[in-house]
Amino acid sequence: AASTGGTLTGLLLVTLLVSHMLLTKEGVTSMPICPNGSVNCQLTLEELFDRAVKLATYIHFLSSEIFNEFEERYAQGRGFIAKAVNSCHTASLTTPEDKEQAQQIHHEDLLNLILGVLRSWNDPLVHLASEVQRIKEAPETILWKAVEIEEQNKRLLEGMEKIVGRVQSGEVENEIYTPWDGLPSLQLADEDSRLFAFYNLLHCLRRDSHKIDNYLKVLKCRLIHDNNC
Amino acid sequence: MDLRHLLFILALICANDSLSASDDLLQRPQISKCRSPEMETFSCFWTAGNAYNLTVPRILQLLYKKSNEEDWKECPDYITSGQNSCYFNASYTSVWTPYCVQLASKNEIHDKKCFSVDEIVLPDPPVHLNWTLLNTSQTGIHGDIQVRWDPPPTADVRKGWITLEYELQYKEVNETKWKELKPRLSTVAPLYSLKTARDYEIRIRSRQRTSEKFGEFSEILYVSFSQLGIGCDHCTEEVEFPWFLVVVFGVCGLAVTVISIMLSKQPRLKMLIFPPVPVPKIKGIDPDLLKKGKLDEVNSILACHDIYKTQLYSDDLWVEFIELDIEDPDEKNRASDTDRLLSEDDLKSHNCLGAKDDDSGRASCCEPDIPETDFSASDTCDATSDSDQFKKAAEKEEDLLCLDRQDNDESLPSLANTDPQGRHRNTQSENSLLWAPFGDSLESPRPSVHTQMSNQNSLTSTDFYAQVSDITPAGRVVLSPGQKSKLGRAQREGCTEQNFAVDNTYFCEADVKKCIAVTSHEENEPRVQEQGYNEDGYFTTESLTTTVANFGASTAAAPSSETPVADYTSIHIVQSPQGLVLNATALPLPDKEFNVSCGYVSTDQLNKIMP
Repeated sequence: AASTGGTLTGLLLVTLLVSHMLLTKEGVTSMPICPNGSVNCQLTLEELFDRAVKLATYIHFLSSEIFNEFEERYAQGRGFIAKAVNSCHTASLTTPEDKEQAQQIHHEDLLNLILGVLRSWNDPLVHLASEVQRIKEAPETILWKAVEIEEQNKRLLEGMEKIVGRVQSGEVENEIYTPWDGLPSLQLADEDSRLFAFYNLLHCLRRDSHKIDNYLKVLKCRLIHDNNC
Repeated sequence: MDLRHLLFILALICANDSLSASDDLLQRPQISKCRSPEMETFSCFWTAGNAYNLTVPRILQLLYKKSNEEDWKECPDYITSGQNSCYFNASYTSVWTPYCVQLASKNEIHDKKCFSVDEIVLPDPPVHLNWTLLNTSQTGIHGDIQVRWDPPPTADVRKGWITLEYELQYKEVNETKWKELKPRLSTVAPLYSLKTARDYEIRIRSRQRTSEKFGEFSEILYVSFSQLGIGCDHCTEEVEFPWFLVVVFGVCGLAVTVISIMLSKQPRLKMLIFPPVPVPKIKGIDPDLLKKGKLDEVNSILACHDIYKTQLYSDDLWVEFIELDIEDPDEKNRASDTDRLLSEDDLKSHNCLGAKDDDSGRASCCEPDIPETDFSASDTCDATSDSDQFKKAAEKEEDLLCLDRQDNDESLPSLANTDPQGRHRNTQSENSLLWAPFGDSLESPRPSVHTQMSNQNSLTSTDFYAQVSDITPAGRVVLSPGQKSKLGRAQREGCTEQNFAVDNTYFCEADVKKCIAVTSHEENEPRVQEQGYNEDGYFTTESLTTTVANFGASTAAAPSSETPVADYTSIHIVQSPQGLVLNATALPLPDKEFNVSCGYVSTDQLNKIMP
């Protein structure tokens, strides 16, 4: 009996491991914290940026997928696309809108902007993860992606704060942040309105995650590779 | 007449089709697509459609509006991107801002589209494709190349504004289907195992990472090995071996052969091709039963010997089954061990651990006919013991219980540690399981269990082993006949299932271990009324300490109820986790009755002896 129990446990462990591997797909692999085994264990700025870019790309990838899945599942025939409202709550943050602006902005300012966007998304992502479960017959992939995006966003925020701590020379400016008041719209009784609110939120998420991804790459190429990626 | 009718109908249909087709050609102007090649500018393209009134050409306008603006503005540049297009340069482009464009003429809106620039990125194709030879195979028939290219010049990859992914496709010149490589981020790609005799075409396209749509293909790169002079002309006509056919027919033939063999009635052929796989088997034990069977059954199996004895020789004919080899030098060692174990000196008289009784039924479990001579422990232990363990006949019985050396090594230390009885420490090494031995007699092979830990010789293992049910705090073991009967029953059942070709009664300790452990765990309550002696009645006492707590508990309750077992309690120390150390206690026997000829006590005698 003991042997069968042990076998079952082993089998369960293997199944869990394999399923985790398959589910995380392009997940960020964790790198050793101190690869060189140095006593004063500190990641270089390059490594921090590398990780941040990877995380941001992953978040954007997940956001694209969840948006596409949501659109496919719920937006067909509802004419969501036609209603180009799309005012995201982060619109009040003045972020560079083209390459010129991105090149001209000071890297510290850009870093703070990135932090601001990430912080502003903290709250909406939490509520997204919880409210999306109330959608009738929400696919499992959407559910876990929402949770995953929320987690990874937190990690990216931590990483960015580390980077800012390293790069920032002066005092930390007043924190950039936009509050989000879209929770009631995610809880509307009318299903169409509620789904449209989700659609908008996911659309904004995809856009902002793309922004973050791009800004981080620009910063990385600028600061680490001297504009020669 | 009918034919003409048919033709007329056909003509009508065709006319109808052409008319309707021409109707389809009258299309509204549409915006076909909007595209940004580098996320810095974008263009929109449209189709003019069929003007209803061709005399007055319609003037189409593209109006656009950013989401945060109110007014529709006209396209700033109708020319740069070609006809029916609108080009927005960098100053008009805001990447993450939603735009709406609409195609209108005068007051009529034909089409409208809304998007943001980051969603419509379709990069230009890569440029400057070239290839280099990596190496060729020894025969020169195949070669590897590496293809390099540059990112599209419009995309600003160096500043990290856009990250591109590339997909390479290649094919032989006269093929129609392109083969693809996985999208990659780097601008180099190796191609392996190309035929040097053939020419290849390569093309590459790119897309923004995390996007799904690819841009246009690059120009085709031609790869020709003959340019480098490494073409293998004479091997162009290699005949491709029909591997596929060979494999298919081979598999079919093999399948047919196998099936015919399986179905053939010739057992010899079957045996030759598919020899039966020997399954590890312990005589007298059904491994399946051990795995799945209930504890009772398992216990009974282990006490199988006993059962069979009772089955076959219901009365105390156990004597016939016991055989000890007194002359064996090892036995003398054992005697010394026994001395240590036994408190009484008269135990020396019990050196003879087994009666050399020729007609003792050395029946293995469930096998009435037991060859007298051949007590080969190896038979019993073929399943679990290593052959090295079996030295000679003399020592065969040591391994009768198939003590696994490794296991013993592990378990014995624990036993030693927990032995409260110091003087038994030496003997602890001699693990012994308390058996309900089957009445197999040991002739030359002495029934001793060799314990690896101490490397001492054998226990005074005898034919008969009683199941230990309790252990007194003093270390006395109380054997439970009730268990045995229970065991016996189960053993009977278990044994009868088996084809017992065993010629001895020992089970491998590994199996017994479970039995004992389980049994001992179970049989806590003092069923030890009679001494737990074996019906067969012969025990060589050896000290065994038990590490089982419940043993201790039970033994506390048990001891007073009965006198412990007979003079000899042969015990094989159970391997981990529990070990049994029996403290030999002499039975208060009337000597006359006690057949101490070889230290065996008959069942009857024991019955009388025990309270």
